[in-house]
Amino acid sequence: MYNHLIVTMKDAVLRCARLGLTYPDNGRSVRALTDVSFEVRHGEFVSVIGPSGCGKTTLLHVLAGLLPPTTGNVQLPESAPGLPPAASMVFQENSLFPWMTVLENAAFGLEMRKVRKAERESRTSRMLERLGLAGRERDYPRQLSAGMKQRVAVIRAFVGGGPVLLMDEPFAALDRQTRLRAQEELMDLWDAERKTVVFVTHDVDEALLLSDRIVVLSASPGTVVAEYCIGVERPRDLLWEPDEEVIGLKRRIFASLGLAVGLAQHSCAT
Amino acid sequence: MKTVRSLFQGAWLIVLLLACWQALSKFRVLDPLFFPPPSVLLGTLGSLIMSGELGHQILRTLERTMVGFVGGVAAGVVVSVILAVSITLRRATQPLISALYSMPHLTLLPMLMLILGMNDVSRVLLVALATALVMVIQTSDAIRGINRDYVDMAVNYGAGSFTVIRKIYFPACLPQIFTALRLAFGRALVLTISLELLNSDDGLGSMIWNAWQTFAIEKLYVSVALAGVLGVMFQGLFQVLEKRLVPWTEPAR
Repeated sequence: MYNHLIVTMKDAVLRCARLGLTYPDNGRSVRALTDVSFEVRHGEFVSVIGPSGCGKTTLLHVLAGLLPPTTGNVQLPESAPGLPPAASMVFQENSLFPWMTVLENAAFGLEMRKVRKAERESRTSRMLERLGLAGRERDYPRQLSAGMKQRVAVIRAFVGGGPVLLMDEPFAALDRQTRLRAQEELMDLWDAERKTVVFVTHDVDEALLLSDRIVVLSASPGTVVAEYCIGVERPRDLLWEPDEEVIGLKRRIFASLGLAVGLAQHSCAT
Repeated sequence: MKTVRSLFQGAWLIVLLLACWQALSKFRVLDPLFFPPPSVLLGTLGSLIMSGELGHQILRTLERTMVGFVGGVAAGVVVSVILAVSITLRRATQPLISALYSMPHLTLLPMLMLILGMNDVSRVLLVALATALVMVIQTSDAIRGINRDYVDMAVNYGAGSFTVIRKIYFPACLPQIFTALRLAFGRALVLTISLELLNSDDGLGSMIWNAWQTFAIEKLYVSVALAGVLGVMFQGLFQVLEKRLVPWTEPAR
């Protein structure tokens, strides 16, 4: 039923093989991830989708090198000595440092890469301006709306992050309109910078709109149950009308997530 | 305009009380021997300033407070960092710190004087201890309470441990450190004046005690009031500093 696509790709930039993670909790050991394997090609946009508590955030922490896996390994492009890791993370909450201004936050990645102040400010300002944050450079995060904060966090990742970006439900806390706008901007940024993105979400529509490929995780312990390719040119328009094939895909994703509701609704419509 | 309004908001009740007091002693409802009217106290204040006595006493008090406070802050921050790093030391020192924090520091004075003699060294040391305790409790709490996300984020972008301390831990703890500084200074001032009240040749506390001993009622009122004014001034100063140095926190309502 699932079309597993675990093929070994020669041009993969990120490859995780049989990742497993167990952590102790009150004397018991909890299995958060088991046997997670998938690959991401250069410039690809891959969404990881799954029910809450399936270890999506844990998986990203492992990919970012913030948590060592119990079993298996992650392969990422080597970063030069003294330079930041190749995979940079965008957090869902607390994504900005409250004590830094918008400009300092957005330029943080460049600062860690030892880019000169004048250059990092000009590069960051240009990007802030492009995403409608001109004039807010000296503000502190508390003065921004939730949508603006996430925009700054995404800018930081694109301007100063590594070649692989790991996004942990960056738009989950936004209202629907703000989220649409954020998605559109993300597609623009991706189009301009062509970075490789692993995007965690629990929103199937968001995953369908944004990604080349969708990896579905099951709940506790998290493991890959399915992978789907979306064979539609990217970046896609917000008004993109999914064709029969994509709707079929959506139905299968819902099924992989164990959501029978999605199936029932579809069969009513046809 | 805003400062004028906040000044008014904080001052009208005091002015009103002073006016009532003035009126009541004018009409002899209050005995001016025990409750000298504010107008008389103002004159006493003037002569105390002119004679230079007041300046001298306040300076002595501030000197003791400041030396103890600065030493205590430095020691407190160093100890907090050590306790934040070592769990073993933290657990071992916790009962001692709690005990010292919750007991009246004045009770330690006789012991200190026994060891160090009846001098300013014992007094300043006690003030430093009181300050350090507030700093240790607040700062180590702040260091341990830091949000892991911020540290993870910085590490993920390539920050080394020195950068993490400088760019993450330090600013993240700064708001709570400022609260600690304000509380600690309050404690230091109270303790200094109490110590001077108990046994000292000079300082605001000794001035209060001497005024009582010699029945110099006007002087008594003026020096007690000044102890209060001093406290308010420094609390205000710390708030201004905090606003300047920690501009990212939500302003208090």
